[in-house]
Amino acid sequence: MLRRLKRWQAVLFIFAAAITVTLSNCAPQSSTAPTTNGSAAAGDASTLVFGSGGDPANLEPGNVEDSNSIYVQQQIYDRLVEYKPGSTELEPGLATEWSASEDGRTWTFKLRQGVKFHDGTPFNAEAVKVNVERWWDPKSKLGFRDAGKTYAIWEGLFGGYKGSAESILQAVNVVDDSTIEFVLKEPFAAFPAAIGSGYFGIASPTAIEKAGADYGIAGSQAVGTGPYKFVEWRTGDRLLLEKNPDYWQAGLPKTEKVVFRFIKEPSARLAELRSGSIDFTVDIAPDQLKELQSDQNLKEVRRPPFNVGYLALNPSYEPLAKKEVRQAIAMSLNRKAIVDSFWSGLATSNSFFMPESLKQYQDSSQADYEYNPEKAKKMLADAGYPDGFDLEMWYMPVSRPYFPTPKPIAEAFAADLGAVGIRVKLNTKDWAAYLNDRFKKPGYQAFMMGWTGDYGDPDNFLYYHFGPGGTKDIGDWKNAQAFKLLDQARQESDDTKRAPLYSQVEKIAFDEAVRVPIVHSEPLLAQRTNISGWVPSPLANETFATIEKQ
Amino acid sequence: MESLEPVAPFSVARESSFKKLQKQFLRSISARIGLILTVVIVLLAILAPILRPFDPATARDFAARLSPPSWEHWLGTDGLGRDMLSLVWYGIRISLLISLVSVGLGLIIGTLLGLVAGYFRGWWETVISWLTDILLAFPSILLAIAVATVMGAGLRSVMLAVGVVQIPIFIRLTRSMVLSLREQGFIQTVRAFGAKPGRIIFLHILPASLAPLVVQATLSIGTATLEAAGLGFLGLGAKPPTPELGTMLSDAFTNGYALSAPWTILMPGLMITLIVLAFNLLGDGLRDSLDPRANR
Amino acid sequence: MLRYIARRLLDLLPVLLGISLLVFLFLQLIPGNPAVVLLGPRATPDQIAALQEQLGLNRPLPLQYLSFLGKLIRFDLGRSIISGIPITQELATRWPATFELSVAAMLFALILGVPAGILAAVKKNGWIDNLAMSSSLLGVSMPVYWLGLLLVYLFAVHLRWLPPSGRLGVGVSLQPITGFYILDSLLQLNFPAFLDVIAHLLLPAITVGTIPLAIIARITRSAMLEVLSQDYIRTARAKGLLERWVISKHALKNALLPVVTIIGLQFGTLLGGAILTETIFSWPGIGAWIYEGILARDYPVVQGGVVFVAIVFVLINLLVDVSYAFLDPRIQYK
Repeated sequence: MLRRLKRWQAVLFIFAAAITVTLSNCAPQSSTAPTTNGSAAAGDASTLVFGSGGDPANLEPGNVEDSNSIYVQQQIYDRLVEYKPGSTELEPGLATEWSASEDGRTWTFKLRQGVKFHDGTPFNAEAVKVNVERWWDPKSKLGFRDAGKTYAIWEGLFGGYKGSAESILQAVNVVDDSTIEFVLKEPFAAFPAAIGSGYFGIASPTAIEKAGADYGIAGSQAVGTGPYKFVEWRTGDRLLLEKNPDYWQAGLPKTEKVVFRFIKEPSARLAELRSGSIDFTVDIAPDQLKELQSDQNLKEVRRPPFNVGYLALNPSYEPLAKKEVRQAIAMSLNRKAIVDSFWSGLATSNSFFMPESLKQYQDSSQADYEYNPEKAKKMLADAGYPDGFDLEMWYMPVSRPYFPTPKPIAEAFAADLGAVGIRVKLNTKDWAAYLNDRFKKPGYQAFMMGWTGDYGDPDNFLYYHFGPGGTKDIGDWKNAQAFKLLDQARQESDDTKRAPLYSQVEKIAFDEAVRVPIVHSEPLLAQRTNISGWVPSPLANETFATIEKQ
Repeated sequence: MESLEPVAPFSVARESSFKKLQKQFLRSISARIGLILTVVIVLLAILAPILRPFDPATARDFAARLSPPSWEHWLGTDGLGRDMLSLVWYGIRISLLISLVSVGLGLIIGTLLGLVAGYFRGWWETVISWLTDILLAFPSILLAIAVATVMGAGLRSVMLAVGVVQIPIFIRLTRSMVLSLREQGFIQTVRAFGAKPGRIIFLHILPASLAPLVVQATLSIGTATLEAAGLGFLGLGAKPPTPELGTMLSDAFTNGYALSAPWTILMPGLMITLIVLAFNLLGDGLRDSLDPRANR
Repeated sequence: MLRYIARRLLDLLPVLLGISLLVFLFLQLIPGNPAVVLLGPRATPDQIAALQEQLGLNRPLPLQYLSFLGKLIRFDLGRSIISGIPITQELATRWPATFELSVAAMLFALILGVPAGILAAVKKNGWIDNLAMSSSLLGVSMPVYWLGLLLVYLFAVHLRWLPPSGRLGVGVSLQPITGFYILDSLLQLNFPAFLDVIAHLLLPAITVGTIPLAIIARITRSAMLEVLSQDYIRTARAKGLLERWVISKHALKNALLPVVTIIGLQFGTLLGGAILTETIFSWPGIGAWIYEGILARDYPVVQGGVVFVAIVFVLINLLVDVSYAFLDPRIQYK
């Protein structure tokens, strides 16, 4: 059939060559001159377009933990307590003031008056109580637990649900229309910070009642008191919000409409930003920093670092049961070199599990693991592994701010460990499974994981990783001393007394090397230059109300 | 993704000698290009561990991550600072291995089932055809994804996933061949002499169906390469540090440097294209020389 | 004719049953317990056991399959584990996106492929023929997602002629009525939206349409060659009819028959290609949705999506068969 194709060869290869030449000529670093009208695609100044990493899971407060959902919820809902822009310090939100009783067990919140939900329902103490009971009380009529809802994050931050022994909360009482009171079983200094974390927006009880178990899914109406009202959610594509004209903070929000566009891949997000069809976006890969800087229409934005990426070493596996082996592993990783090259300078590596902004709870004299493969080898030999051993290491299948490119980073670990004789087998599975299966006994042998703080308190970092209940994924590792210190710190309300307790925990964590801290990263965000007023929060849930577009 | 034209169940001119076939085959330019390309690719794959400039498993330089093509690294480096040329070179080997194994798998299972269905007819045929219809009711990549998801990531599951997709193609082809052959004189004669079904199938029917099977298998290697790379692109491919071409594309895309460091996607993709092209040309050429009808 | 259609529909039943069975079995094989996925990592064994009971996961497999089948017949595909959205609702909003993309890709393939095939056949061995056939060979050999990435790099990032992803620009307002944005923009006489929709559709449609384009060009060419060698064409030529007349009136009509079959078969390829392409272009269709479902172990999404795609695929093939029978009087409806 193709016998007569005398010219085939030539045509075919010219074709291939043409593609090659065209593409290799497109030098990526070519900087771009500023466009005068900023490309019309993103529309006029009355609409902000945010490049989100994906669809929210749900718009129901207290029932989701993923950042895509929290970002949207932040705009629709207010919380009792808010955070000062760009910091982890508290400021009034729906509560104007709050105070603890003498014994630290009762927290009373004075609520803002005259605030209404987007659907006209008045905001008051009763509304707060309904919301809290939804999360806390398994018998709450509006909790819809029979439809499979769990509010797991409540259990995570407050120990358990109503009726369980672990629940920190004992009662929630309406004192009067504008006062609500939380009675705790034991003092919990970080309570206002925890209830102010991005998960716990206050939703309209009427709207929840109306939507039932469907509240918060696409097609239902999410109703809060926040600066923006929910308009429409087209799954897989975008979500539209519009200004709440009756917002209690005068002069806000500054822009009429906000559009969330869902673009999963960081390269696609940056491409959209460069083309001007989105105005600002999050989670750009550090490898894209150069590309970002070369475009004069764009500005890099850095989120204050408030996370940790670590390598967990599960002591319930034979070689890792020995502390010396774990320390040898920490010692054989060239963490500085890895962090410098994979994070484009947007990260630091040190001996601490907690990020730098909590440094008042750390002992600055604590030395870091030294990078010393020779010594590590010797330690392994002394521990009975002169020929090394096989190690199965799991890396995350998705990019997270603390590990933006997990796979190559894991390969770098594997190479370093290989140099001291540890034969690493890399493995991964889909993200949902990855998260779940690490709790299945005996868990992964070694795995990459990380944490971004929910609120600005050391408890949120250390208790959840080294305290009771927080060590399931490292084979129920138990250190009596650490457990005791952590519980003690929880009950202590004096910060100067808490600090030494936490710095001791940091030291134990460092010495035990069950979670080897690799990195504290500054997540890279980006915006077009005509955007102003965006102050990224270290907690990754800032408001868009202050953002304007020229 | 399918072969360009369906492989018709043509009857093979049994008398045509190997020499004649060879002559016919080499007259076709496309076949010649295909043959040369295939030989080169196979040679590259075999020689990869000996000739490639760097060892992709160990040679890495974090300081030189994502550097553009240079004298030292002709095709630049990837996100781990590995030499792209060596990676792609090794990737040919891996991709070829996957396609060969999976097509082999599909060929063996599909042919056996097809022979059974065509020869015994009756319930066998009904059930096997039903299975074929169902498997063909899924877009092939979807089927491959399903199998790979069940099996978990890794080379072996990719081979199996891509192999499963090939099975119904070979069942259909073999079955129709058998249906036409079993009524032909020489088979009828053998059967009249009381030969056992196994003997008839493997000594008489199978050899006579060999030519179209070879053509289909050649074309299938192209399809399989594409599908395996697709799975790799979806993150269901080989595990690191195995350099597989589709996985390289996936890494560049999901880690965010596909568009800022285009050399990380250019060559892996081009190499996939060349492999597929080679086997498509070869398959076309084989069909043309084996099927007298196509020699218009 | 009607009886023929009815019979073909009846033939479909076992296949549809098989599809549902296969999907059901596949989901049983996927490692991991749906109840655990649903409840999240903090669930206690009691909670898991209770939910398993509630979901009927403790019942014997055949019973579970029957209840799955029963729900399927009532179009009850359950809800997404992650988002809680009913699968049917999600299918209804996402199917138009995938279908619009597939149709656009097919149009692209036809508009270029059929003329290219005809020209190649008429000017057999000319440079058009060579170019068309070599590009078509290259087209079927390329990984589509790679082509998609190259197109994005060239036209969206480097030249900035077209948007890199999405279905509709943000500055454009368009109220979805049918969900098919081209149709919607035309219905509302919204010309800017129409242009915007086309601009967004272009790159993904070219990406998805490349393989069908290559195959259609080839099939058209060989069908055309076949017809041109027939006696009646020779007769027509001998009568001294203009070549253009011979080709357009006599040859083309008969040559297009095999092309129709191929269109149907290629729709399946399109739906498959959509999975990879939609991911690259953030296209809010079924392909990207199934892929995310797989990643998140969202069983109902995978189940619903795969069953839906397979059924659409089967129905399109049926449609092709029927239209083929309709177009070609030589086929008897037995």
